[in-house]
Amino acid sequence: MDNREAKFFLNAYRPGGQDANDPRFAEALNQARCDPTLQRWFDESVAFDAAITEKLCAVPVPRDLRESILAGVKVSRRLRWPKPFIRWAIAAMLVLSAILGSLIWHKTGPTHLAGWQSEALEVMSSLVRNRSTFDAQSRNPTELLAWLHKNDAPAAQRLPENLERLESLGCKTFPWNGIPVSVICFMRPDGGLVHLVTTRASAGVEPAIKGKADVVQRGGWSTVTWREGDKIYMLALEGSPDQLRAYL
Amino acid sequence: MSDVDFQQLVDQQYAPLYRFALTLAKSEADAADLTQQAFFLWASKGHQLRDRSKAKSWLFTTLYREFLGRRRHEVRFPKIELDEVPEEEMSISPNLNALDSPGVLQALREVEEPFRAPLTMFYLEQFSYQEIANMLEVPIGTVMSRLSRGKALLRQRLLSKAEALGNKVVSFQSNKGEESHGQS
Repeated sequence: MDNREAKFFLNAYRPGGQDANDPRFAEALNQARCDPTLQRWFDESVAFDAAITEKLCAVPVPRDLRESILAGVKVSRRLRWPKPFIRWAIAAMLVLSAILGSLIWHKTGPTHLAGWQSEALEVMSSLVRNRSTFDAQSRNPTELLAWLHKNDAPAAQRLPENLERLESLGCKTFPWNGIPVSVICFMRPDGGLVHLVTTRASAGVEPAIKGKADVVQRGGWSTVTWREGDKIYMLALEGSPDQLRAYL
Repeated sequence: MSDVDFQQLVDQQYAPLYRFALTLAKSEADAADLTQQAFFLWASKGHQLRDRSKAKSWLFTTLYREFLGRRRHEVRFPKIELDEVPEEEMSISPNLNALDSPGVLQALREVEEPFRAPLTMFYLEQFSYQEIANMLEVPIGTVMSRLSRGKALLRQRLLSKAEALGNKVVSFQSNKGEESHGQS
């Protein structure tokens, strides 16, 4: 073992000394003891590592992160569906929704959705097809709004009237190019789902906004986007524009 | 796991997990989100872990996988050979006293991702090379190699920052020519 090899091993030696008895380091450590140059390099390397550890451990953590984690998990637990058959019913409804969406698949012309909207459709598809999970679940959309507000996620102060009367399934948040976006999924009386996407108005999302009456279709999805105050909303469902307009 | 146990786990691990996420993610918000997601996944799947003493490793591994999943193969791992790191720069060290924690964190975030994850695990939680290998699912030799190269790259970044601040660097290593070689 030459010094270059010894350094290769010793770079993995923890500054706290926990590896003193690890046989993999024995030869390299022994060599350092016999070679003052290597020993000096090793001592300074350990000092460097200890200093880096100290600096990194001093990086501040957001003050509300702990509370946010505990509250988020708490609401997820509390709102968990109580009985197995309800879970099966939801799963069946999600499958039905996916099938219905496929049946009424519309091939449309050029689409007019911005990046964040496309990303939101992907997230919703992923939720509908059970490939990802909600951050919080509740049949009461007001609780989901409260959860989003508590977690500093974009959310309406109050839901549109036609959504307020629906039961919700859950909500999820995700970032798009650093811009936070949230989705709340509602259960429609016909067994399908309708989703409300919310984000904050910013330069990255403004260009895609159209009038509230303009329904944009993409694949089997119908969407409508509008702005209220500093928030931008997109309502979306897998279905026809007429089905969507029932919730505007 | 009871609420009390869970709270204890959060208290013990949320700060180092956040700092680990901060070196991987693009923003503080993403880092906080990754940290939360790791605990959410623990709340729903953690009961599957029989050995509770491995909760810390589980959380770090889960957070790292979540990060990789979100990245969606956008970036292929850059291949950087040790030979590309000048020997001369590996033999000197920046004056760390001149740099604050955000400066060191920023330098670490500038290290290429394949090296950054094992480096952070090594520095933040002092995981052993064996534990890091298990968490990243790579061979031990790869971990040692990435630690070695990663440290060299980190020193480079820190040197650049120190020089930009006008601080002198402290040489604590003899030049290449003075390096002695032990037995093979």
